[in-house]
Amino acid sequence: MNLVADEELMLQVRNGDSETLGVLFDRYHAPLFNFYARLMGDRGVSEDLVQEVFLRILRYRQSYQPGTPFRPWIYQIARNARMDHYRKNPRQVAFQAEMVPPVAPPDAAQQAQEANLLHRALLQLPEEKREILILARFQELKYGEIAGLLGCELNTVKTRIHRALQDLRKAFRMLEQGMPASGCGPAGPDISLRRAGQ
Amino acid sequence: MNCEKIAELLPDFLRGGLERERAEMVEQHLERCAECRDDVDVWQKLALLPAPEAVADSRARFDAVLQAYQAGRAQPEFPASTAGEKAPRRKVFDWLRTPAAALAWSIALLAIGFFAGNGMSRTTSHSEDLAVMRSELSSMRQLVVLSMLQQQSASERLQGVSYSQREAQLDPQVLAALLHTLRHDSNVDVRLAALDALSRHSGQPQVRRGVTDALQNQQSPLVQVALIDQLLEWRDPDLAQRLRDLQRTPDLNPVVRERAEWAINKIQ
Repeated sequence: MNLVADEELMLQVRNGDSETLGVLFDRYHAPLFNFYARLMGDRGVSEDLVQEVFLRILRYRQSYQPGTPFRPWIYQIARNARMDHYRKNPRQVAFQAEMVPPVAPPDAAQQAQEANLLHRALLQLPEEKREILILARFQELKYGEIAGLLGCELNTVKTRIHRALQDLRKAFRMLEQGMPASGCGPAGPDISLRRAGQ
Repeated sequence: MNCEKIAELLPDFLRGGLERERAEMVEQHLERCAECRDDVDVWQKLALLPAPEAVADSRARFDAVLQAYQAGRAQPEFPASTAGEKAPRRKVFDWLRTPAAALAWSIALLAIGFFAGNGMSRTTSHSEDLAVMRSELSSMRQLVVLSMLQQQSASERLQGVSYSQREAQLDPQVLAALLHTLRHDSNVDVRLAALDALSRHSGQPQVRRGVTDALQNQQSPLVQVALIDQLLEWRDPDLAQRLRDLQRTPDLNPVVRERAEWAINKIQ
């Protein structure tokens, strides 16, 4: 199967063929929804934000530059939409545990238990760390593309991923031992991780 | 090889992006180091996390937005503004007046000035220099925004608007230019984008006033609906009255009329 490249489709959208955006919607709806839902833990808000991303693509389609890789571009829009969402709705820290996996059949009980703990550990990380882990693990972005998104160097991205993974591991193991993972906050002073604009 | 060295390689290792020799080095370390091994284990376990369950009717909702958008764009536009479409003219040195060239020039001049100044006086600290340079760069970017907003092509003006969103603070002149764009730009997308950009500066009274005033003169239903939504979000105290005034406009688009009604109910 020979799929038309995202960039080619986006150029068609840019040149006025808005219908083609439907194809990109089908390709990117699930990844973007998963990105938001994993990061923010609220399916309703996640869906609203995905819709907002595609509306912004419509509005800003003429600012898409030919030759720009599409995937990092749409994730940039997605991050901006999330920032704007926080600006309008000041941070609600309490998570709705909507994503907690459903009760699993007995043979998968162990795995379900681990997934549950891992999910809780992930939600305990500061959002910056959770975001970079999600981007690196689930969203098929190259490290260089993540660096572009976050506005930092490639090596910084790798360092941040490693630190976030270490924190996740500590939080996960503590939960496994039945302890509240209180020690999983930012490990040491890490000025570079301060949220921009706050 | 110690953990510190491995840390540099681990992210690439996790994605299978290391060449064989270095991958083997990491593997050897993992055999000896329980903590690093555990990091890798947890990374792999992340695959256990189920994908969040999607929301139904997502595509239908998108299709509705797309249709509304296309219908909104098909509405007649008001005549091209003065900033609009003059006959194309190209002169040999026109490229020097493009925003990109302006930015390049400005940065080059700033860098020359910065290093020259740095050479002459070493009294200020490095971080102070950087702070000054950053703020100058920011005002220069704002100059570029101003210049892009006056370009003939809609796509360049649109870029100017999105460029303005990189700055947390905007000068009053830039805000005024965005407000002018919101009211008078000949292109709907540029007006919508300007509203988006302005919505981030609601703390400025000038912005609130300007956006509120834009409602009455706006011709495109798409922009009118977006304006109503924005003003509702800001809880503008006079909004109900303004919406009633708007509803008295003859030939008001039915969608806009309906949105105004909905917003009035929402306020009460």
